Amino acid sequence: MNQKARERLEESLGNKVSFDKQILAAYDHDIGEMPALVMSMVDNTPEAVVAADTVDDVRNCLNAARELGIPVTPRGQASSGYGGAIPTRGGIVLDMTGMNRVISMDKDNLTVDVEPGAVWDELSRQLNKSGMDNCIVPTSAPSSTVGGWFAMGGVGLGSLAYGSIRDVVQEIDVVALEGEVATLSGEEMDLHYQTCGILGVVTRLRLTCRIAEEMRPFAVALSDAAAVQAFSQAACEELTPYAISVHSPGYVGMRKEMGEDEAVPGDSFLVIIAIPVGSSDEGALRRVAVAHGGEVLADEIAHHSWNDRFYPMRIKKLGPSILVGEFYLPLDSFSSVVEEIQTDLQRDLLGMEIFVLKGGRVAVLVYILDDAGSFFYQFRMAKALRPVRAAERGGGSLYTAGLWFASRSREILGSKKYDAVTRRKKVVDPKGLLNPGKIVSPRVRFLPLFDVSTMVDLSSRLASPLAKLLIYKRPHRERVES
Amino acid sequence: MGNNRAGSSGKTNITGDLSYSVDTCARCGFCKPVCTTYPFGNGFEAFSPRAKVHYIKQVLEGKQKLTPEWVDRLYQCTTCERCVENCQTEISLVHLWEALRAETVRQGIGPMPMHAKMREAVDEYNNPYGEPKEERNKWMQPDHSPTEGAELLVFGGCTGSYRMTAMLRTGVTILQRMGIPYAYAGPNEMCCGSPILRTGQLESASRLIGTNLDLFEEMGIKEIVSPCSGCSKTIKHDYPKWAEKLNKNWSGKVQHFSELYVELLRDGRIKPTRRIEKTVTYHDPCHLGRAQRIFDEPREILRAIPGLKLVEMEFNAENARCCGAGGGVKGHYPEMAAQIADKRVLEAVETGADLLVTMCPFCQASFTQSIDKLGVNIELIGVEELLLQSVEG
Repeated sequence: MNQKARERLEESLGNKVSFDKQILAAYDHDIGEMPALVMSMVDNTPEAVVAADTVDDVRNCLNAARELGIPVTPRGQASSGYGGAIPTRGGIVLDMTGMNRVISMDKDNLTVDVEPGAVWDELSRQLNKSGMDNCIVPTSAPSSTVGGWFAMGGVGLGSLAYGSIRDVVQEIDVVALEGEVATLSGEEMDLHYQTCGILGVVTRLRLTCRIAEEMRPFAVALSDAAAVQAFSQAACEELTPYAISVHSPGYVGMRKEMGEDEAVPGDSFLVIIAIPVGSSDEGALRRVAVAHGGEVLADEIAHHSWNDRFYPMRIKKLGPSILVGEFYLPLDSFSSVVEEIQTDLQRDLLGMEIFVLKGGRVAVLVYILDDAGSFFYQFRMAKALRPVRAAERGGGSLYTAGLWFASRSREILGSKKYDAVTRRKKVVDPKGLLNPGKIVSPRVRFLPLFDVSTMVDLSSRLASPLAKLLIYKRPHRERVES
Repeated sequence: MGNNRAGSSGKTNITGDLSYSVDTCARCGFCKPVCTTYPFGNGFEAFSPRAKVHYIKQVLEGKQKLTPEWVDRLYQCTTCERCVENCQTEISLVHLWEALRAETVRQGIGPMPMHAKMREAVDEYNNPYGEPKEERNKWMQPDHSPTEGAELLVFGGCTGSYRMTAMLRTGVTILQRMGIPYAYAGPNEMCCGSPILRTGQLESASRLIGTNLDLFEEMGIKEIVSPCSGCSKTIKHDYPKWAEKLNKNWSGKVQHFSELYVELLRDGRIKPTRRIEKTVTYHDPCHLGRAQRIFDEPREILRAIPGLKLVEMEFNAENARCCGAGGGVKGHYPEMAAQIADKRVLEAVETGADLLVTMCPFCQASFTQSIDKLGVNIELIGVEELLLQSVEG
């Protein structure tokens, strides 16, 4: 970034902009551990970072970027691994975490207006003071932001009762690259959902809330995936669960090694059901469990598992890295797909966490222990997509696009939305300055004939058979210091 | 894995499990919203614990170097352990920061100037305040009479002996009233080493710890009790490792005074009877609560006092906010420390309590200044002082 550009940014943003290379180093990645070879395909090192505190800061940043022709990558906590907040052409990172205020609460209409950097857990705490709570929260609630989740899209705890993050956002304010602020809802708002801020930067969201209600968790051990599927279907029909999550036997095993879930029977699937206390019927739960061969476990197991719901990455301590695959699946094909994955990757250190969703679907997270520092990690990485392909064969779909799956944005967003988004992009950001490389895949740096996402997709398909053969053998370690 | 990885700046002291733990960072950022000092970083991610771990990883891989600017950021940490409490992979983040601080001292780019001054004072006077050694026992009352040859040592600590003396004085008075024999080293007691250790100055820390360990052995000490959360943490957790390193004998029991009071209460040896009609809120000192897992004992003491009503601050026990003083922050970044203390005092005021109580002279020192500055209507007192008032009734 030349001196003139620096001066222009400093002039309008003062000490909210930094060019310090050590500060910038914190913004060249997200939660994912991508191999250096993959990262080298994009220019992920920003030249400046702006820590926004107000809507004016956002507007000033976008105005300067537009005038200077410099790309801007909006960023929440970067707690998703799809590359949605990773720069692909250097430029400016717009850190939105400072805009984290609760603007207003409306208890009569059960809504809250928040800035995009509001952290889910903190928002729950604030809402609780008024007797309200978030309808849904991501499992990364202690750090992830409201705006970040809306920009990436997805589901979380409570999505069985309330749907996706899109379903609980009523209205947004968006600052366009030209600097104007628009208030959007309905289909207009939908163009900004799951599109990583490529059309504008969200500065306010109105969320639907619920009346705060204590949850009664239950833990049920089931012998196989078929029993989990049937039990979950029956539980959705006969009980009124807020959330149902499932730990595969492999995941239970990993957690046991971490000193968690030690009382869960070996080789069982663990199902955790949270039901609002007001509608909780323990007798009905027990009947459904017994009818599907399940064992209702001790309350303390249920409470411990529920209280630990925001800590799925504890198992990383065993890795030290994890390959993660994520996808949606019809609940009807859960059993067959899960069994296929378990058979396919039976030699690996594999665990799965599953969330039952509204509308007869599940979201599945596949965890494979690995070591990002090992030479073969970059080849084994292709293994994370084998479960995704098994899911697709079973009628499932990718979770979100971001950067790494941008070449498949059309199928993830749907053709109609994808076309509308790309048409709008050409109008509002013809130079592609706002979060370039997301939804529309960027060209490979130094090899512009190819686009990054297609390269990642093709190479992972080609490497997949080899990846399956490369098994990570975890070195024996004594219990790691804590 | 687990071996020392050489960076461009040469080998570091980040080895073994500590090195492995850097690799396990999930980058989830759960440490960031709870970090006491992150809000002082102008909103930039680089000031978060998560970013610091990422940077350390790059240093270990030889991709980055420790620079004076980064070292300054490293020292802006109160070692409050809120990050550790929330870490998904249970990384010993505070151990990591302390090891890195020692590394910066080794490389000649740390500590910060005020920490170096503190070390100079300790080297000359055996306390970081530069107070005369012979005045270390000035807090004592005429009726305090240590017993020569007693196996229980009262370790006063520097803040407890020279600055906020009420907790130490009260603790000893209680021992005296209970007829519990105790030893006291007086001017021979050295700083426990905590502020020197936390700021990475291992050479001076080694001298202090070694001398104290020799003193314990000479005096035939089997148990130690201290009113200071920092001293009790250091003697409880760090001294056994240093004893091994320095080839000294030490296997004694170490307690914070709160643990001893609870034992006396449970045994029925101490009976609070006088009613104290006050509402109190308790501040968990970081080095007592999160570091030593002593959350219940101070509350048990307060609940045993008739008439006293305990109300909790919103952030309490494991989630308690920090007083801002620890980790050398009060020494080199006093304005930051003061703002952190103010926030905590205002949280206490919000509870409507008459009294803010704590069990750490260092926290007490921070809050005293804050309460004076803010002019708020809350009185600061130690738990043991309330206990003694109730017993004496």
